[in-house]
Amino acid sequence: MKNLFTVSVAVFTAAVGFSSLVLAQDTPTSRPGQVEQRPPSTYQKLADAGPGGPAPVHDLNGFWNGPLEPKFGEMPSLTALGQSKFKLNVPDPFSAHSNDPWRVCDPFGFPRSATNETRGLTFATMPQGIVIMTQYQKIWRMVWMDGRELPKNVGTRGGPSSRWYGYSVGHWDGDNTLVVETTGVDDKTWIDRRGYPHSVDMHVEERYARVDHNDLELTVKIDDPKIYTKPFVVVTNKFKFTPTQQEDEQLCVPSEAIDYLNTIAIPAGQDEVGQSK
Amino acid sequence: MRTRIGSFFAIVGCLLLSIPLFAHHGNTAYETSKAVELKGATVTKFVWGNPHTFLMFDVKDDKGNVVHWAGEAGSPSSLSLLGWSKDSVQPGDVVTVYIYQSKTGRPVGRLNRIVLADGTALKDSALGYREQ
Repeated sequence: MKNLFTVSVAVFTAAVGFSSLVLAQDTPTSRPGQVEQRPPSTYQKLADAGPGGPAPVHDLNGFWNGPLEPKFGEMPSLTALGQSKFKLNVPDPFSAHSNDPWRVCDPFGFPRSATNETRGLTFATMPQGIVIMTQYQKIWRMVWMDGRELPKNVGTRGGPSSRWYGYSVGHWDGDNTLVVETTGVDDKTWIDRRGYPHSVDMHVEERYARVDHNDLELTVKIDDPKIYTKPFVVVTNKFKFTPTQQEDEQLCVPSEAIDYLNTIAIPAGQDEVGQSK
Repeated sequence: MRTRIGSFFAIVGCLLLSIPLFAHHGNTAYETSKAVELKGATVTKFVWGNPHTFLMFDVKDDKGNVVHWAGEAGSPSSLSLLGWSKDSVQPGDVVTVYIYQSKTGRPVGRLNRIVLADGTALKDSALGYREQ
């Protein structure tokens, strides 16, 4: 009886798990009857470019191509407050039912700008810092490199206001790794497309390690004890230096997003067929 | 035994809940086993937007009534790789549309591909590779 039960669980679990994966595919290659014809993206083409020589010292300047999505880390347990906030978030920009800020093209905020739609990234050195620009939504973040400290008591009476992209300072770790520290992000933003929440006191560390001329590896780590029971790596990502330095225009336009919801999502019954959470 | 059955349904429940999270591009709303062929479709609007592009077009049904259709496709960055551009399709163009219709039966769906008057086929980035 015990064996029969165990086998039943395993078979059913495998079947349901497999069906999840099949539904998850947005690429055509895994479906029966399909032909593998999709041309490689610019990012995929750049994967064959090789290292291109050693990384220059303290220099990430230029445009880098990335994949559509980064690699997600393992999420820790949420605190009681974190669980209550997470339950309120209903992801899916393609659903009229969700409250995903992306659904109407609200700003991603940070770190969602580093965890969602990561096809392009630019670094530009300024007199007192480095600007990190994200292709999607043309997001501009100033990282102060002049030794200043992060603001304290953000979002409290008398303290500085929280912001969509918070406050960022940076420094170099060795010759080729830029470390960026960020806090003071408005807690109405999500950390990723899955709807994970954060507090204003969240501390985010980005580490951009230029391993050679053409390769940049990013690790994004979050420490937010009000919401999560321990610090964690939320994503890792890999970017490729782009010889042409040409970016694409990728904008989420509110009027178009609302048009999409009214023209496609609601009439198609996307909320009638499957809720996001 | 009761504990085991409870555990079993807890596992199954979690997995079932995970399905919509994985299927984040929302194609579960469409009948994807067979694309509907719509000939003589007159384009009324083409929105080259994020997160998804979509095409609006009119087609006459069997009784000669004009039906207003809408079909979504991938993001501009995905479709660009497949030969689409913001100006690939323009209002007034007459095209043939292959579309996976909504399970609700309404005239809305996910494109498989469209075929322009000159015979050029433009495929969707997600479901455009299905053989029909």
